[in-house]
Amino acid sequence: MFSGKIKKIVCLFLFLALNPVSQSFGQDISVTATVDKNRLTLEDVLQLSIIIQGTQNTPPPELSSLPDFRVVSAGTSSSTQYINTQRSVSITYNYRLTPMNTGTFVIGPARVRANGKTYSTQPITIAVQKPSNRETAGNRTAFVVTTLSSNKAYVGEQLVYTFRVFHRIDAKNLNLSLPFDKTRFHKEELGEPKSYNKIINGLQYHVQELSLALFPLKKGQYEIPSSIIELDLIHSTQNRSSRDPFSQFFGRRTRAEHKVLRSQPLSIEVLPLPDGAPEGFENIIGQFNISAELGKNDLEVGDTTTLTLTVSGKGNVRDISFEEPALKGYFKIYPDKPEFHQTIRNNEIMGEKVFKFALVPLEAGSRTLPKFSLPFFDPGKAQYRVAQTPPIPLNIKPSATKEKLNLVQSRQQDAQAPEIEILGRDIFPIYTELDKFQNARSHSSAFLGISFGSPVILFILSAFIIKQQKRMKYDVAFYRRRNAYKNANQRLKKMSALEHSGLSAPKEFGRELSEILREYIGNKLNLQGKAITAEEVEIRLKEADYESAEVTRKLLERCETLQFAPTTRGSTKELLGESENLIKLLEKQS
Amino acid sequence: MKYSNGFSLFLFFVLTIFTSLPTDASEYLKEIVRANDLYSEKRYAQSAQAYESLINKGVRNGYLYYNLANTYIRMGKTGPAVLNYIHARKWIPRDENLEANLKFAIQQTQDKIEPPAPGTLSTLFFWSNDFNLNELIYLAIGLNFVFWVSLALWLYFPSLKIIRNALFCFLLLSFFSIGVKLKNESDFKLGVVLVKSVEVKSGRAEDAVTLFQLHEGALVTVTDKYENWLEVRLNDEQKGWVPKNSMGT
Repeated sequence: MFSGKIKKIVCLFLFLALNPVSQSFGQDISVTATVDKNRLTLEDVLQLSIIIQGTQNTPPPELSSLPDFRVVSAGTSSSTQYINTQRSVSITYNYRLTPMNTGTFVIGPARVRANGKTYSTQPITIAVQKPSNRETAGNRTAFVVTTLSSNKAYVGEQLVYTFRVFHRIDAKNLNLSLPFDKTRFHKEELGEPKSYNKIINGLQYHVQELSLALFPLKKGQYEIPSSIIELDLIHSTQNRSSRDPFSQFFGRRTRAEHKVLRSQPLSIEVLPLPDGAPEGFENIIGQFNISAELGKNDLEVGDTTTLTLTVSGKGNVRDISFEEPALKGYFKIYPDKPEFHQTIRNNEIMGEKVFKFALVPLEAGSRTLPKFSLPFFDPGKAQYRVAQTPPIPLNIKPSATKEKLNLVQSRQQDAQAPEIEILGRDIFPIYTELDKFQNARSHSSAFLGISFGSPVILFILSAFIIKQQKRMKYDVAFYRRRNAYKNANQRLKKMSALEHSGLSAPKEFGRELSEILREYIGNKLNLQGKAITAEEVEIRLKEADYESAEVTRKLLERCETLQFAPTTRGSTKELLGESENLIKLLEKQS
Repeated sequence: MKYSNGFSLFLFFVLTIFTSLPTDASEYLKEIVRANDLYSEKRYAQSAQAYESLINKGVRNGYLYYNLANTYIRMGKTGPAVLNYIHARKWIPRDENLEANLKFAIQQTQDKIEPPAPGTLSTLFFWSNDFNLNELIYLAIGLNFVFWVSLALWLYFPSLKIIRNALFCFLLLSFFSIGVKLKNESDFKLGVVLVKSVEVKSGRAEDAVTLFQLHEGALVTVTDKYENWLEVRLNDEQKGWVPKNSMGT
């Protein structure tokens, strides 16, 4: 009963497992393209689905060029259906198309390659309109506003671009795209986005604000294109008066509306820097302060002091650099790596860069460290300025340390590892030792099979031998069974020799032969062989499924007959041969 | 007699499989000496050609790739240099000179893109980064042999249970290491830009939007290929398609 059920299940399984292959080849392939709407506004998103029926093994469709849309893959879904044993398969590739312009557009045929053929979808015409003006900024559910700190700026001047999204209901899955032309603006983020509430015309809006610092790179009149944010507005559809505890427990019923909000493009005029730049001007634009500080003004030859130069202010502080002070010959100078810290204050990037030079005087005397100058352009005052440090006087005495003292202090000097000046960089040389150039071979599956398999086979063999040896020690029945044939065969050989020599009497011969046979069977079946009768032998052999049970009984009876009614020598020879054959037969059947 | 014939056959079979006689070994070693001499004589173009011809003949050796990469560095071709250092790393992952030269080559490129950091699996099986695939296989073969011997001994001496279990854990780890190595080699296929500059497109078409530009020697991860295009990835955000002939993998 169960086996019949199992057969049915197996057949069904095989049918399901094998059928898809045959069906998918047999089924016609068709490709269609669908959209969820063909009229939309710039705030909407179009869902495009390419449905391939008849197969699921295709590369993704090749969409035609869609310059007026931003295309994002929205995943795939596949389906398999059985209707009256007919199987149909399909796969759907979904895309989200965000319109970038208004007008009428044609989504050209998408091409799909399947089974060596190319299939095309039908073109689809889409009309994109401006968003409806029914909702004004005052009562809209969500809208965006972008501002620029100034609509006129010099090349390199810092501008603050602020993007704000206002929404009256919950918004999720916000995806912001700020399309700046990298060739015209350098962009830096001004910290984390802010979040706050604001009341406009009595309506409370939740505002999320992101600010960026923009640095114009080229002069000219530009338009910063619209920033686009995609978001899901969560509309509550539950009746507020409902006090159903279950609905409260399972949460409010909501509906998500996907929206694409665009800001107004902003225009900006980027002015070139005026002529008359001071000497050493390196496009540093902003407002900066500079200060210099020396570790100690009185020191000895060979002593060390640190000159710290700090530049801070608003603008591109990161780009500021200073050459080593022109003190070669008088001082040994070790410049340190400049440290730069950036802070954001009042939505503007402020920075501080610290340069450190370790100075070791080589000669005694009074010196003056030269002033450091930083020429920069101040866009606030629309003029070039130069920030300077005052000259720093320095009194250097001859070294008071004597030679003897130097020797004592040599350990201390050793403790400080001397700084090694890197003069150049190069690669390590090629290898020439020929023993390294052995050809690395990839291993064949035969090599891997033998390498990993042979220890397993050796183990199985040795385990089998060990198990047999252990069983021979402790399992008496097994030991008797294993040695039954060997013992019987040895005794039969002895009897055969006696029979040939003519020394054995038929009576003794019959008794001995009967004993060998019964002992053999006793060993095989783990019985007291000598004590069992011919009938018992037949019964026990039949119980143990030996086919020659009856033949054995008859042979034993003949042996007994020979014991009690001895016949001629010829019959003993015949009986011996039959016994040998029977034992061989029983051995095969065991 | 019968047994000795069988044993001879077994020996012949094993020797046939386990030993390969490099009939042209001396020939290719001569060719390596010649290529090294050309390098020493600063005839880098001929030297590179000699190394390349050996690779085209099927010789696979980490030091050969390393020498070829050095030759390209001398020729000022950073793209092929980075590519061959990456190939060399597959065979000689612990070579310090190779790591230093690869860093040097990357510093010579315009984009200065470092090789991607190892994935989570590689971090967990950190030792697999320091061995090549052949070394891991030999290690597993050795551990496999020792484990099965310990298992056989354990049948006689049950007190060896701890050693047996420890060896089994090591054997499993060695198999996992091979798996991690193979997965890394298939998943993190590195590509190197071989042309002066290449535009990374949003799609597999010349008129697709240019997302960003890469320069010679830039290291990227190749994530997909389709006809004459390769999908390359710099990080989670920056990826796109480039013509296949502009990249070396």
